[in-house]
Amino acid sequence: MRSTKLLLTILVLLLSTTLSVAQNDIMRQARAEKFALTNAKIYTVTNGVIENGTIVISNGIIEAVGTDVSIPSDAIVIDYAGQEIYPGMIDSGTQLGLVEIGSIAEAQDIREFGDITPQMEALTAVNPNSEAIPVTRVSGVTTVITRPSGGVFPGTAATINLFGYTPDQMFAGSKGLVINFPSSGRRWRQTQEEADRARERALKTLNETWDKAELYAKIENSDEARYYPEMEALARVVKGEMKVYIEVNAAKDILSAIEWVQEKGLSDVVFTGVSEGWRVAEELAEAGIPVITGPVQSVPTRSSDAFDAAYKNPSVMQKAGIKVAIRTNDTENSRNLPYHAGFAAAYGMGREEALKAITINAAEIMGLEDQIGSIEVGKKANLFVATGDPFETSTQIIEVFIDGYQIPMTSRQIELYNEFLDRVPGLNKNPVTTDQ
Amino acid sequence: MKLLRIFSFRLFVLLPFLMASTLVIAQSDPTGESPVTRTYAITKATIIPSPGAKIDSGTVIISDGVITAIGTNVTIPSHAEVIDGTDLWVYPGFIDGMSNTGANRPDPMERPDNLFTPDPPNDYAGITPHVSVITQLDITESSISSMRKLGFTVSHTIPHGRMLPGKSSLILLSDAEHVDHLILKKDVSTVSQFVGAPGAYPGNTLGIMAKWRNIYRNAELSKRNTELYASNPSGLSRPMNDRVSEAFYPVVEKAQPILFNASSLLEARRALQLQKEMGFNLMIGSLEQSWEIIDELDNNNVSVFLSLDIPEKPEENEDEDKSEEVANLEARRLEFYNRHMEQFAALKAAGIKFGFSTHGVTSSKIKKNIIALQEFGFDSTDALAALTTHPAQLLGIDAMTGTLETGKMGNALVATGPYFSSDSDVKMVFVNGDKYDFEIKESSSTTVSDEVASVLIGTWNYSLTTPEGEQTGKWIFTNETGELTGVFTSNDPSGPADTDMDNLNFANNSLSYEFAFDAGGQMLTVFVSGDIDGDTFVGTATIDAFNMSIPITATKGEPEQ
Amino acid sequence: MKTLKHASIFTILMLLFSMNDAKAQAPKGDVLIQNATVLTITNGTLENTDILIEDGKIKNIGKDLRQPNNVTVIDAEGMFVMPGIIDAHSHIAGTSINEGTSQVTAEVSMEDVVNPMDVSIYRALAGGVTSIHLMHGSANVIGGQNETMKLRYGSTNPDDLRFEGAPRTIKFALGENPTRGGRRRGIQPQTRMGVEAMVRNSFNDAIKYREAWAAYNSNRSNRKMAPEYDLRMETLVDILEGEILVHCHSYRADEIYMLMRVFSDFGIDKLTFQHANEAYKVAPELAAFGASASIFSDWWAYKLEVYYSTAYNAAILTRNGVNTSINSDSGELIRHLFHEAAKSQKYGNLSDNEALRLITLNPAMQLGIDDHVGSIEVGKDGDIAIFDKHPLSTYAIPQMTFVDGVKYFDINTDEADQRIMIDPEASIEDVVIFNREDFDMCMHEESLVNFYELVNEEK
Repeated sequence: MRSTKLLLTILVLLLSTTLSVAQNDIMRQARAEKFALTNAKIYTVTNGVIENGTIVISNGIIEAVGTDVSIPSDAIVIDYAGQEIYPGMIDSGTQLGLVEIGSIAEAQDIREFGDITPQMEALTAVNPNSEAIPVTRVSGVTTVITRPSGGVFPGTAATINLFGYTPDQMFAGSKGLVINFPSSGRRWRQTQEEADRARERALKTLNETWDKAELYAKIENSDEARYYPEMEALARVVKGEMKVYIEVNAAKDILSAIEWVQEKGLSDVVFTGVSEGWRVAEELAEAGIPVITGPVQSVPTRSSDAFDAAYKNPSVMQKAGIKVAIRTNDTENSRNLPYHAGFAAAYGMGREEALKAITINAAEIMGLEDQIGSIEVGKKANLFVATGDPFETSTQIIEVFIDGYQIPMTSRQIELYNEFLDRVPGLNKNPVTTDQ
Repeated sequence: MKLLRIFSFRLFVLLPFLMASTLVIAQSDPTGESPVTRTYAITKATIIPSPGAKIDSGTVIISDGVITAIGTNVTIPSHAEVIDGTDLWVYPGFIDGMSNTGANRPDPMERPDNLFTPDPPNDYAGITPHVSVITQLDITESSISSMRKLGFTVSHTIPHGRMLPGKSSLILLSDAEHVDHLILKKDVSTVSQFVGAPGAYPGNTLGIMAKWRNIYRNAELSKRNTELYASNPSGLSRPMNDRVSEAFYPVVEKAQPILFNASSLLEARRALQLQKEMGFNLMIGSLEQSWEIIDELDNNNVSVFLSLDIPEKPEENEDEDKSEEVANLEARRLEFYNRHMEQFAALKAAGIKFGFSTHGVTSSKIKKNIIALQEFGFDSTDALAALTTHPAQLLGIDAMTGTLETGKMGNALVATGPYFSSDSDVKMVFVNGDKYDFEIKESSSTTVSDEVASVLIGTWNYSLTTPEGEQTGKWIFTNETGELTGVFTSNDPSGPADTDMDNLNFANNSLSYEFAFDAGGQMLTVFVSGDIDGDTFVGTATIDAFNMSIPITATKGEPEQ
Repeated sequence: MKTLKHASIFTILMLLFSMNDAKAQAPKGDVLIQNATVLTITNGTLENTDILIEDGKIKNIGKDLRQPNNVTVIDAEGMFVMPGIIDAHSHIAGTSINEGTSQVTAEVSMEDVVNPMDVSIYRALAGGVTSIHLMHGSANVIGGQNETMKLRYGSTNPDDLRFEGAPRTIKFALGENPTRGGRRRGIQPQTRMGVEAMVRNSFNDAIKYREAWAAYNSNRSNRKMAPEYDLRMETLVDILEGEILVHCHSYRADEIYMLMRVFSDFGIDKLTFQHANEAYKVAPELAAFGASASIFSDWWAYKLEVYYSTAYNAAILTRNGVNTSINSDSGELIRHLFHEAAKSQKYGNLSDNEALRLITLNPAMQLGIDDHVGSIEVGKDGDIAIFDKHPLSTYAIPQMTFVDGVKYFDINTDEADQRIMIDPEASIEDVVIFNREDFDMCMHEESLVNFYELVNEEK
């Protein structure tokens, strides 16, 4: 009994795989049409859950959402009965597009030389044809922050949608200057003395550079101002014209960073990393600074910490009243974003808040809440269709829309699966032709 | 090869020196340093002839290197130099269970061409059990006098090196004219440690453990082959000469122990594991974490020399409203500090007679550390036993020394009060019957001598010529706590962070210390040694892990602005 | 406070000490787990079922089992019980990872560098893991022997973590890692051709060595010179004779295929490919050889030889009949291997039981310990993990972990500081921020002697 059932299941699965291969053969390119996605359970994130709902997509925008929606006659209607639709997931910290292969310097454009390179633009170096991009988006992650690293002012991070053939086609409309706040925590294989010294140096660089930037901001428009691209970039932050992402992790450093931000009078500030946020959640909440935290699946920062310190971190911060978004801080495995959120959900955050942390909260933190992060009329059609809860690994993502484009549901990893699941030739190469 | 060249070079240097000393004798004593007599009588002193014993207002006679009389009713020979021992305390000279005292660090070997063959040359791999520490001994080595000044008269000295650096010897901490005169007992043990060869096999503990088994098994086979051939060579191909295996013959025969330099619990367990597999006699020196393996040490008859490198007492956060987490973590840390400190008494309670090891310990910390143990159930009698009778027994020299008894060697120390208290000083030390006097500062309890204070204390600007260019920075020597401490700093932001100097020794204008720093994930130890002439230091810095030795110079004074 | 927390560890220590000496005996426990959903792996899912563990072994599985005297009872109603998770590729609990100074170091063994005091052990237990395969690194073509261990946290004695009865295993490595070492030193191998040659040379040397000793031992008289003893060759001979299971670090399909050919030539058949990101490409060949694969759920792109990976690897291999396990190779991933295995459902729709096998019975078979662990069966070791939800759910939280019936993790009594050895001179505020960049940087850092061997390793 059991084995026949299993066999049947396998057959069905094989069949469905063949079907998806066929579909991929048809759909090699994305298409932007008028779509009506019907009969789905819609998780709007901002307006609750709609059973048996319909979403109309037109000109890349969500034109209508609800149960009582008139379907335009020229729309392609796709019936998603039994499926669930979510806003595209947003990974608010990755190196997607900047890093192709981890160990090869030539395949990385993430870290420019120097401690002070705020004028470096991540968006410039985003490779729209990175193999990791399709791999990520077919998992329902439609939008990411991609950010440079290294030094005190490594450059400017950009929010990109994971579809497009030029950086501009991908750009989602939000940038932020990255500051690596001087860290008292050791990095991997660093001694405490070295960490302390590096911190002192970085603190000096940070403050001296900031003083210069404040001066530059004052005289920028005078005839005397020299061409100084680093200061130009920083002056925009000094003047409050640009968001700033401050990477800070150790509890002690978070407190210093709060003080620093207040002293400098910065308002459009986001803290990123924030591994030890749970230790100083009250202070963070009081400061009113939003947080992008993660990876959630990570080891505790101290050997004396509880095994689940990192799992619980988003929950503790969120409960303290901090606006929390979750990131993977990954590149090729940004596709695991829903699982990081899932762990946060399991360890105290709850599914609803965890979903917000990778959708609307991220959008709000980037200042893109009127465009992405939820399923609402007038927002960009960034969404995905799933067979169930996307935090569960048993769930399949069956359709993804980015900027209204229906995305081919394939990636090199899927193509390899299709090619090799039942390899031809198999063990023996001698061709066997059967009479038709 | 290079190593051998160095040794023969040393001999060559020594020859004219020997001849010169003959000349000095012919010239009588122009420096005025020779004693008038070698018979000394210390009278009216408090004498501790052995741990737990005490003679009030007694007399000790040391004549021609031997204790000839001790007690309260002793006739003082007419030719004796009489030392008024009123208020003075006399102890047996101390025995250091394991150290590098007197041994010079050999220059790094040239990197051989065949380094990456499956097994690099034994010399480079650090497999030189046939080498005696005597080849590294240097009569001018500053550690001899700095250890003697603490009351040590005998050191169990191990060679510098790697996995199997060679054979240890017991040496007298005397001012000898010739290395031979230092030697009390040769080839006491075959020394082993968990130190890998830089970039070559065995590079770490993994390779060392395997290589160990390989060497030992081959020594057994080689011994059998050699004996077979010696009994009757007919029809047999001659076994190849193999110095490494031969050096292990006495170990295989259990005539000589293996001395493992093993500080951590896991290192000590590995030494025990090898002993379990091979069955040799085992000594463990430099041991810092013994409390978990007391039974094993006892059951396997291991001779133990506990390290005097004990931890500093952790400082607690004085903040009234410190978090519960901080309080808990501090409590746990203190718990482990206590375990370190209490292990001395615990071993004693288990009936294990152990000695101390000063290997890698800055000499100025030694006495302070011994005294610190008194709070943890290890009193002055226990400490004295660990410094005298126990190591004498473990090292097989208890017939010669270790107590103040008639007929024993004239090894003694004379202190201005009970030795195991912070306000006494060593006034004189007798090594093999020769007297060494030390100046006593009346005002303070400092152990830092005038020489140190005037010559060394202060800031020095050094310059190190590395392959990547010149590195500069400062050494800061202080004696604020009554002990000599030094900090190594770098002017280069990417250079080593400020680091405390370890194993800091300064005597006879000769300075040596070591410090460890993390070079991008690899802990590197740098050994610095050289001589000071006025305000100038000239010496070398050696990084074993890079197999490299580079010149370092320094001048005293504030940096130029 | 503290004393309470460490009470359990202390109890274990006491147990260890009481049975101390000559042959240290691992503590064995008795426990009755009641009313659980039992994921047996070999006999389906049993609802409302009890498991009785006595003296460290599973004594009985069934409904409403009688409670023997003095046996602790755990009410697991609503909970899921699975066999303790087995990680076939780990580097936690080792003081050294790689003797990377020579290309063939078969003689070295991880058993010499086990660090039972690594707090990562506790954290792995808190992820339901009960056994690990502590592996040597991958800098050498033939690396060192690995150590299969049970996570009996609380002892400072490496022997207490030994997996009694586990066969010996050894690490081989192909591809970028061993050839990089060759290039840096100007020796062979610098190509995948050279790697093959080195494996063949080593086995041929071992055959000669075996012959020399056989000649000496045959018709043994006192009038013979004994040949040289070589632990390296001894180990290689043991591989040839099937006494040591080979676990080979590998990525590309061609190198995986190469080693199978070589092993066929030398008649060695116990072979597991570790990482094996491209194993899916030669799945039929692996199945035909009977080789296994121990892989990542989804890691890729961290170096060139894993660029052409697919997360569907586990599914393709399983469907092609290759014994496959999911491993961690990481102190982080090891804490949620149940979740890593669950990804095989997203990537290829493996059934629940197939997915769970990836971290239980399959790795047990690869390590040759499937007689003792890997499924919940009467007679097997009482190595058990209890979850509040089905362990393949992202929301599942491990509740308790037992090794030999002794509870080493219980979320109800879990407290933060689980260290069992503390450096009294270390700062109490020792914060380590793991930066992804550091990981990538170390992959091409070559400025320091030994840096590669010390830092890179693994992956």
